[in-house]
Amino acid sequence: MWRVVPGQSLAFREWDEEAVLYNDLSGGTHLLDGAAVDVLLALRAGPADAAALAERLAGRFEADTDELRAMIEDMLAGLARLDLVEPYPC
Amino acid sequence: MLTVGDLPQRELAARLAGPGLVLRTGPFANRIRSDVPQLATGIGLLYADYPVDEPGGFADFHLSLQRAGGLRRLLRPQVHFDYEGVAPFQPLPLAHAYPMFEWVMNWCVSHRAHSYLILHAAVLERHGRAVVLPAPPGSGKSTLCAALVTRGWRLLSDEMTLVSLDNGSVLPLPRPVSLKNQSIGVIRAFAPDAVLSTPVEKTAKGTIAHLKAPAESIARAAEPARPAFIVFPRYEAQAPISLRPLPKARAFMGVAENAFNYQVLGARGFGALGALIDATTAFEFRYSKLDEAVQLFERLAKDGA
Repeated sequence: MWRVVPGQSLAFREWDEEAVLYNDLSGGTHLLDGAAVDVLLALRAGPADAAALAERLAGRFEADTDELRAMIEDMLAGLARLDLVEPYPC
Repeated sequence: MLTVGDLPQRELAARLAGPGLVLRTGPFANRIRSDVPQLATGIGLLYADYPVDEPGGFADFHLSLQRAGGLRRLLRPQVHFDYEGVAPFQPLPLAHAYPMFEWVMNWCVSHRAHSYLILHAAVLERHGRAVVLPAPPGSGKSTLCAALVTRGWRLLSDEMTLVSLDNGSVLPLPRPVSLKNQSIGVIRAFAPDAVLSTPVEKTAKGTIAHLKAPAESIARAAEPARPAFIVFPRYEAQAPISLRPLPKARAFMGVAENAFNYQVLGARGFGALGALIDATTAFEFRYSKLDEAVQLFERLAKDGA
């Protein structure tokens, strides 16, 4: 399970499938793929694992469920490195 | 309104040596005190059109550039700077006093004026459209800026773009345009009538001269401009001219990298920069010939696309 790191307000701006996001904890700004923002927003609704997120986002991506889940897992790992998401104990 | 040019040279020197010259640059009042003759000459030449306040008036910044005292003054004349009693720069040779003054003026704004998002960028306006030119040193930004200024563009700033945190408009801070090394000769050839200060050699940045800002730009220093374009310029010898669209999110990151106080401002800076990016179209621009560059910018400002 993953969650958005507490304290991150996820202020972002998106243009043409790319986004910039303000990191409230580091003060940095990240250039993200628009899909990564979709994952963050889906996670803001509540802690979830990659499979649940894949279900939530199925309508937004043209990929089969396994492919989408693998893609989301990669994204979560990347977002964790930026301190935007973190593992959430079940 | 009293300007520097209205003051007889003796009065200018007396204010500088005594209570301070209160010089208005854009939204700022600067109290400048100095006993360095080169500085009085430089200010008299390049700031003639700028308003001055009464010596006792309010000032945002208090700058002091004085000749170093003691034996060193006789052996190796130097000038040192302090800002409200603090000395953030090493003393420099006396001959470097004028470029040092300009650096110090920049330093005051970039370190103290956090009620704006401050970009390391030139900004100019033509046909009601402002073009922001963010760039690191060596990109040809100042040369391009000087060329545009000599062809009728309004100078808002050569070095620091002040973006309003409230509405994303750009506030003018027109000051002399800093030219380095070969750029000095390039602009002299491009605009033989332009007023330039005497070049100062062997500074930390090489040979430096400053181009006087147009009187009309100074007269309009209280008039904000609406940004229409962000153009990242790069001079490259022999390169064919090219203007390539830059996606907005990438333009955002590029501008943030060229900001003085984006990190300091936190979420407010993020909001202001987002508004700026929303309002503008961004490009990467490569050039080698100033004539071509000026023509392209004229079309950009006139047609809006």
